[in-house]
Amino acid sequence: MIRFDNVTKSYKNLRPALDDISLEIQKGEFVFLVGSSGSGKTTFLKLLLREEVPDSGTVWVAGRDIGELSQWRVPYLRRNLGCIFQDFRLLPNKTVTENVAFALEVIGRPRTVVRTQVAQVLDLVGLGEKGDRIPDELSGGEQQRVAVARAFVNRPLVLLADEPTGNLDPATTQGIMKLLDRINRTGTTVVMATHDVGIVDTMRRRVVQLDQGRLVRDQARGVYGFGEDMTVSSRGVPAISVAGAAGAGYDASGDPLTGRVATVRARRGTR
Amino acid sequence: MAVSFEYVAKETATNLWRNRMMALAAILTVAVSLSLVGTALLLRQAVNRQIGQWSNNVSLQIFMDAGATSTQVTSVRSTIAQTPQITRCSYLDHAQSYAQAKQVLAGSPTAIAALTPATTPTVFKCQLKSPGDAATVATTFNSGVPGVYKATSPSQSIRVMQQVTNVLQLILLVVAIVLLVSSLVLILNAIRMAIFARRREVGVMKLVGATNWFIRVPFMLEGLVQGVLGALAAVVIVLLSNVGVSYLIRRYKVLGSAVLPVHDLVVTELVVMLIGVVVGVAGSSVAVRRFLDV
Repeated sequence: MIRFDNVTKSYKNLRPALDDISLEIQKGEFVFLVGSSGSGKTTFLKLLLREEVPDSGTVWVAGRDIGELSQWRVPYLRRNLGCIFQDFRLLPNKTVTENVAFALEVIGRPRTVVRTQVAQVLDLVGLGEKGDRIPDELSGGEQQRVAVARAFVNRPLVLLADEPTGNLDPATTQGIMKLLDRINRTGTTVVMATHDVGIVDTMRRRVVQLDQGRLVRDQARGVYGFGEDMTVSSRGVPAISVAGAAGAGYDASGDPLTGRVATVRARRGTR
Repeated sequence: MAVSFEYVAKETATNLWRNRMMALAAILTVAVSLSLVGTALLLRQAVNRQIGQWSNNVSLQIFMDAGATSTQVTSVRSTIAQTPQITRCSYLDHAQSYAQAKQVLAGSPTAIAALTPATTPTVFKCQLKSPGDAATVATTFNSGVPGVYKATSPSQSIRVMQQVTNVLQLILLVVAIVLLVSSLVLILNAIRMAIFARRREVGVMKLVGATNWFIRVPFMLEGLVQGVLGALAAVVIVLLSNVGVSYLIRRYKVLGSAVLPVHDLVVTELVVMLIGVVVGVAGSSVAVRRFLDV
């Protein structure tokens, strides 16, 4: 579904934002992109959206080298990629329904299709009753659900999430993660950049760690990171739960020390 | 992908309403500048018609006495042929001369009524090598040539008037061009504000894969509407001023030929409209290209 071949991207700084990254993400995978600020997570997502083009190397999305796309085809690429952000990016003067419908209207979907799809996706995210509210009347978690609905309403192949829980409290975060997991189970590939140690550790999905633009870890069923202050999780905790985030010790399969080796070419982890 | 008409119309209307002060400024400037353009064009046509009527490209007219004999006419004709400064000459007999007099005096029916073909002097209309010779040649024919009533050259006042209108026209056009440029900039700025006010929407549109044209068209249309509205106002102003001037001409029975035929007026209004459209589209295209990176 997504493949990076020796991708390097630099801005005006000396150090490249992404340095010779190669990895592959299969259809239906759920991938966490972790790393400190400035490690290149956002650049990674921007390359997928073709908001940026790599200096060298190729980015493949759905079997297409997106560096080869002509400018006018970029919108059609983006229709296959849903996006959510830390700051939700909803339109404040439109209702929930209008916000979601907007995503379909502006790509020219007929009105009947828009109506049914929007109703469906709002039910999916659990906001069926709140379609007439405007974003300011909703909690942060609900706003992010609207954003998810908007990103998913066109049934994209891939859902990209840039720190979607950065503004949310742990309980709300859990709800959003449940929702993303549900979307992932429909076969949608999910790539999520995050700082949230708790969710990475409890979800036990593939973890790709970037550090200063280099890929330093790629681990199936990984945890966030390691070090003296590391939060660890225990095995056997249900995938969607932050309750066990501050629990016992490591488990063997997710041993972070072996995960240090960057060459682990992960495949989709078992649930 | 077909851009839905309903969507575009709605977006354009809300955009214009949200930025109504800016839009109003742009529309008014377009209206004022195009009114000046229209007025300058009409003025030029009117003055050309009037002057054309007066001088008819003739630099010297030699009026014979109403009762001049044919011998006298023949001798004047040969004198004309011997005058080196005169290049070409045509002779109007009583009937032709009367017809011309009726045209020239269109504004004053009483004067026409006083004339009959028989009492209208016949006339030689001559062209000179250089208009500067008009005065001297006129003097030679005025100094007692038998049968000649009077030789006249287009009066100094026509030439002065021509020059004054030329200058006036130039000033009007320069002012109009300056105003046109500023209306272009105002439209550009109005569209820029609209783009800025809607940057969230534009961001979301790009994110969910709206095509570039789908994003651009409402803004382009907004500029076009501003240009067209301004032009429409200018069309009305030009029309009213034309009606007013025509009324004054009829009322005071002067400059009868300066009344423009409908055809000229329509052409002028179309030109005004076209310029409005061009200014609107140009302003918004520049804004969209500069400030809407899709």
